[in-house]
Amino acid sequence: MLDAPLALIAEITHRCPLHCVYCSNPLQMVLPTSELTTREWETVFEQGAKMGMLHVHLSGGEPLARGDLTQLVSFAHRCGLYTNLITSGIGWSERRWDELVAAGLDHIQLSFQDSREASANRIAGARAHTLKLGIASMIRGSRVAFTVNMVVHRHNVDHLKEMIALAESLQPERLEIAHVQYYGWAWKNVDALLPTREQVLESLETIAAAQKRLMGQIRIDAVVPDYYARFPKACMGGWGRRQLLIDPSGKALPCHAAAVIPGLQFENVRDRPLEWIWRESESFQNFRGESWMPEPCRSCDRRTEDFGGCRCQAFMITGDATSTDPVCSLAPAHGLVEQKLSQVNSMAENAAADKTSQAHPTQQEQFWVYRPQPR
Amino acid sequence: MPLENTSRPRLAAGCRWAGEGENRMVVFPEGALRLKDTARAVLERCDGHRTFEEIVQELEVAYNASDPTKIRHDAVALLERLQQKRLVDF
Repeated sequence: MLDAPLALIAEITHRCPLHCVYCSNPLQMVLPTSELTTREWETVFEQGAKMGMLHVHLSGGEPLARGDLTQLVSFAHRCGLYTNLITSGIGWSERRWDELVAAGLDHIQLSFQDSREASANRIAGARAHTLKLGIASMIRGSRVAFTVNMVVHRHNVDHLKEMIALAESLQPERLEIAHVQYYGWAWKNVDALLPTREQVLESLETIAAAQKRLMGQIRIDAVVPDYYARFPKACMGGWGRRQLLIDPSGKALPCHAAAVIPGLQFENVRDRPLEWIWRESESFQNFRGESWMPEPCRSCDRRTEDFGGCRCQAFMITGDATSTDPVCSLAPAHGLVEQKLSQVNSMAENAAADKTSQAHPTQQEQFWVYRPQPR
Repeated sequence: MPLENTSRPRLAAGCRWAGEGENRMVVFPEGALRLKDTARAVLERCDGHRTFEEIVQELEVAYNASDPTKIRHDAVALLERLQQKRLVDF
């Protein structure tokens, strides 16, 4: 018996004033003219709540770019959904915030690109850092749950202690420290963003120490970089098992990146009921369960824990979405990941040996691509 | 932070009850928690007004407890665990 999804990720727009080099949006973004209307989103929330979903994550792009955000929060809240706003804070006003709180917003997740302003603005491709600091104090004056989200990669992970100190000063209940996952624009920029092994190990120690020190004060959830792990992550808790994403045009996906997989037909909530898409549609059934699995997954004890890892990552790295996630040390294609890692790590070693070298991996901004506006 | 008899525990910001009957649960950022029997009874009384002492006394009466120490002990363990997860403030 298939359970209802727990959470709906509502990517309400791909418009965004920021241009973060690790954005998880697809390279092919949805145009503003194709976005679902207010009423169409309301229908989605209504159906989701009826199916037994608990949470709706309002995401983007930048959700504040939609003028009807308060109305959407209010409607989702009245459907009984727990509402979470994932935002950069750009597009904020004090009045808008008061309206969102009154509409029943339960949780807000505010992202930071670094603890240092110049670096944060360079990563976001926009002057946003100072503005975010002002917003944080307004959030803290409310009874809305507050998560600070710090995204880390090669260019800022050395500031992690400083980033944690910044988060402490903002007094959230929760701090999410997320190593970049390589999808969308992050995958395009993977060579510029992948941290070194040394950086990763140090970050894990820093996180563990902060979790211990801040116990009872700030709950710290960490997203670890799977490229350096022995086994893959249970991506989205398994394909079509826990969560469902609707893109701005109404296309239903099992995750942020699934549209990269060729040959899958994703249904649209404009044409089909949400419940049918979840239960019956071919794209959601495709990698559900174990029958699609190749060896070594098929006979692996971990298959019920990690579900074979990530299908999108398998496709992006090996060209075959049905292969074992190549970050797994048991995967036949694991060598491709090791190759990428050894490039990054040897580049860092060379740079350390020659401090004047232009090849230093932290001086590669010129090689990355900013995420543009959809048009 | 230790829980005192005079503490007035309540759900933390952004944590609230949702659903009815068997499906009643506490929802919070990125999750939900379904509690059973006495654990649910404890948390339902955490309204920021009752003291911990009052909550325990109410439970002893409600459950006609033969072993009040166990009720108290379990309630402390529950609330301290939930405080560490930032679901409860006291």
